Amino acid sequence: MAALKKSTELLESVYSVVALLFILLACVGLCDAAAAVDVYRLIQYDMSGSPFGSRFAALNHHAASLSFPPGADLSRTVLIIPLRELNITFVREYITQKKPLGGLLFLLPEVLSFKHGGNMQVHEKEKMKKLLAELERLLVHSNIACPVYFAFENDDIDTVLADIKKNDAMGQPATATTGGYKLVIPTAEPKKVVSPTITNIQGWLSGLKADGDANQLPTIAIVASYDTFGAAPALSVGSDSNGSGIVALLEIARLFSLLYSNPKTRGRYNLLFGLTSGGPYNYNGTQKWLRSFDQRLRESIDYAICLNSIGSWDNELWIHVSKPPENAYIKQIFEGFSNVAEELDLKVGLKHKKINISNPRVAWEHEQFSRLRVTAATLSELPVAPELFEGTGSLFDGRQYVNETAIIRGVKLVAESLARHIYGHQGKNVQIFADESILAVNPAYIRSWLDLLSQTPRVAPFLSKNDPFVMALKKELADHADEVNVQHENLEGIFTFYDSTKARLNIHQVASVTFDLLLLLVLGSYLIVLFCFLVITTRGVDELISLFRRPPSRKVKTA
Amino acid sequence: MTMFHFFNCAILTFGPHAVYYSATPLSEYDTLGTSVKAAVVYLGTALVKLVCLATFLQVSENDGFDPYQELLKALIGFIDVAGLYFALTQLTHRNISQNHKFQAVGLGWAFADSVLHRLAPLWVGARGLEFTWDYILQGLEANANLVLSISLAALASLIWLRKNKPKTLIPIIYACAGIVATMPSITSYLRRGLGWYFPKVVGFELFTSLVMAFISWQLFSACQRPSA
Repeated sequence: MAALKKSTELLESVYSVVALLFILLACVGLCDAAAAVDVYRLIQYDMSGSPFGSRFAALNHHAASLSFPPGADLSRTVLIIPLRELNITFVREYITQKKPLGGLLFLLPEVLSFKHGGNMQVHEKEKMKKLLAELERLLVHSNIACPVYFAFENDDIDTVLADIKKNDAMGQPATATTGGYKLVIPTAEPKKVVSPTITNIQGWLSGLKADGDANQLPTIAIVASYDTFGAAPALSVGSDSNGSGIVALLEIARLFSLLYSNPKTRGRYNLLFGLTSGGPYNYNGTQKWLRSFDQRLRESIDYAICLNSIGSWDNELWIHVSKPPENAYIKQIFEGFSNVAEELDLKVGLKHKKINISNPRVAWEHEQFSRLRVTAATLSELPVAPELFEGTGSLFDGRQYVNETAIIRGVKLVAESLARHIYGHQGKNVQIFADESILAVNPAYIRSWLDLLSQTPRVAPFLSKNDPFVMALKKELADHADEVNVQHENLEGIFTFYDSTKARLNIHQVASVTFDLLLLLVLGSYLIVLFCFLVITTRGVDELISLFRRPPSRKVKTA
Repeated sequence: MTMFHFFNCAILTFGPHAVYYSATPLSEYDTLGTSVKAAVVYLGTALVKLVCLATFLQVSENDGFDPYQELLKALIGFIDVAGLYFALTQLTHRNISQNHKFQAVGLGWAFADSVLHRLAPLWVGARGLEFTWDYILQGLEANANLVLSISLAALASLIWLRKNKPKTLIPIIYACAGIVATMPSITSYLRRGLGWYFPKVVGFELFTSLVMAFISWQLFSACQRPSA
C-alpha cells in the first residue's frame, strides 16, 4: 500500500517536471538563427512645407500579423502584411485616424523583384496592379508617423510569418513578456537631401544645309523624361513609365544617326533628342530646359514628340495635344501618324486637353512646350492624364509589366512618321525602316536597355550629378548624336526629400521575460539544493539545521 | 532582458563553484589561498598547452575526426595532469588535511577553466537579442567540469600524496585517473567523430562526471580505512 503510494508520488513528481519543461519550451520556440532581409523604405518628402510619407526610419519592435487579437495595443508592434492579405480599408483607417502603430512591413510577391523576373497570370496581374496602385496612392499622399517598409517574400520571412500567425492565433501577441520575434532596423534618422539636382541630357543631329541657304534649318524634337517616383524609391524602376520612352528614344536616335551619317541620306531637318529629368514634379526639368533655349532655336522647332509609357499596349496608342485638333499643324502630325499606323495594323487616337495656365499641375510633357508656344504632342498608351505622383514608376512597374514587341512597334510608328515628314514622303507607301534591312529596329538593343532600366531605380533627388546611370545615358546619346550637352538644374523649391531608402532588417527570435524569470527561479533552487546537499554530505544534517536556527539568546542563560 | 539572460547563465556557470566553497568545510579552514594558487597553475599549464598545440598541431579544413590529431591533442592534454601534479605536490600549502587539499585544488582548477573558456563567449554572446540554448548548455558543461576536476584531483592526490594504498585498488585508481584525464578527447570524438549534438554531449558529460565522482569517492573512502 505504502509502496503504491510512493510510486504514484514519484510519477506525479515526474509529470510536474515534464510539465515545467514543456512550459519552458513553450515560452521560446526552437532556436532558429536570426534572418536578415533587404527592406526598402517608403518615400519621405515635404511639399510646400507639408510632410508626407513615412517620417521615421529606425525600427526596434515586436512583430505581429494581421490576425492579432482585436483591441490589442499596437503602439510598440510592427504589423507584417503580405500583399495577398492586404485590407486597404484597415490600413486607411489606421493612417487617417492616426492610431498608434509601431511600424508597417508590406511583403511583396517574389515575382515583382528584380532577380526573379518571372511571369504572372494576366488576371492576377490586373488584380495586383489595382491593389498596389491603391496602396501606393494611399501611402504617398498621407503623413505616417511610423516607419513603413517594403520587402520581398522569401522562405525565411514566410516561415517567420507563419510562426507569428500561430502565436497570434493562440491569443498572445508578441510583447516583452511573451516572447516572439523582434524586428530591428538600425539606421540613423533620415536627413534632408541637400539641393537635389535634375540633369537634362540633349543630343543634336544636324541636318543637311544646302549651299546658299542662309536660314536656319527647321528642327524636330523627340523628348522623353527618364526619372521616376514611387512609393518605394529604391524599387522605383519604372520599366514602362518611362523606361519604354527612354529605350524608344535611344533606338530612334540610333536609326536616324545611321541615316544622317551619310550626307546623301541626311534630311533637311535638325533632330533634337532630349532626355529630361524632373518628370513627376510637373515636368520641372523640361520647363527649365526649354527656358534655357535660345529664342531662335525655340522658334525653329517645327514640332516636338514626347514619349511617355509606350511599353504595355496592345492595339491602340494615343496622341495627346493641347492645341485644338483643327489646328493645321496638329492635323498634319496626326495624319502622318495615322497613315503609318494603318500600315502597321494599329490604331492611333487623338485626345485634346486644354491647358489651364493658372493651374501649376502639368500632366503631360507636351504642355511645357505648348506654354512656350511650341507645337508638341505626347504619344502614350494611357488614355487619360495621370494624377500627381501616379504612374511614374510604381511598385508593379517592373520588367514583366513591359512588352518588347509593343516598344518595337512604337519605335517603328514614330520613326516612319518622322522620316516621311523629313524626306517628304507623306502619304506614300514607302517603308524606310523595313525589317531585315540595315535600318531595321534592333530588338536586342531594346531588350538590353530595357533590362538595364528595369534594374536601376531613378528617383531624381537620389541621383547625384555624376551618377553612373546618367553618365551612361549621356555616353549612349553621344554615340548617336553629333553633339551632346548636359544641363544641371536644381529641383523646384517646393519639394524636399529625405534620404535612407534602403536598409537591412534583422529578425531576432527573443525569449520572454517570463522565461528569464522562470530560469532564474530554477537556477536559484538548483543552487540552494546543491548547497544543502553539500552541507549535509560534508558537515552533517545538524549543521544545516543550525544554519537556520537563531543562536540561543543570552537571556535564557542568565535566567 | 538580455543582461538578465547573461546573469542567469553566469550564475549557472560560476555559481556552483562559490556554493561548493561556502557549503563544504573549505570555507572554515580558509583554503582560498590554495584555490587561487591552483588557478594560477592552471593558467600556466594552459599557456604551455597553447604553445605546444600551435607548434605541433595542423589545422584541418573540415570538421571531421582525425585520429592522429586527436592522439596528439590527448598527449598534450597530459600536460594538464602534470600541472595538477605540480599544484598538488610542489606548492607549499599551509597545514590543511589532504582531504581538503584536493578539494581546494580541484575547485581552483575548475574555476580557472570555466573563467578562461566560458566567460568571454558568455559576455559576447549571451547579451545579444537572439536567444539560443547554447549558453545554458555551456553552463551545464561547466558544472560537469567542476565535478570532473574535483574527482581528478582526488584520484591524483591518491596517486601521489597517499603512500599506503591497498594493493588491489592501485590499478583501478590509475585506470579511473586515465579516463578522467582523457575526457576532453572523448567528448571531442563524440562531437566530431560520431556527430552528436551539443545537448547530447553535455548530457553524457554530466552522467559520466557523476559516475566518476561516485567511483572516486568510493576509492577515496576505501583508502581512508587503515589498510588491513
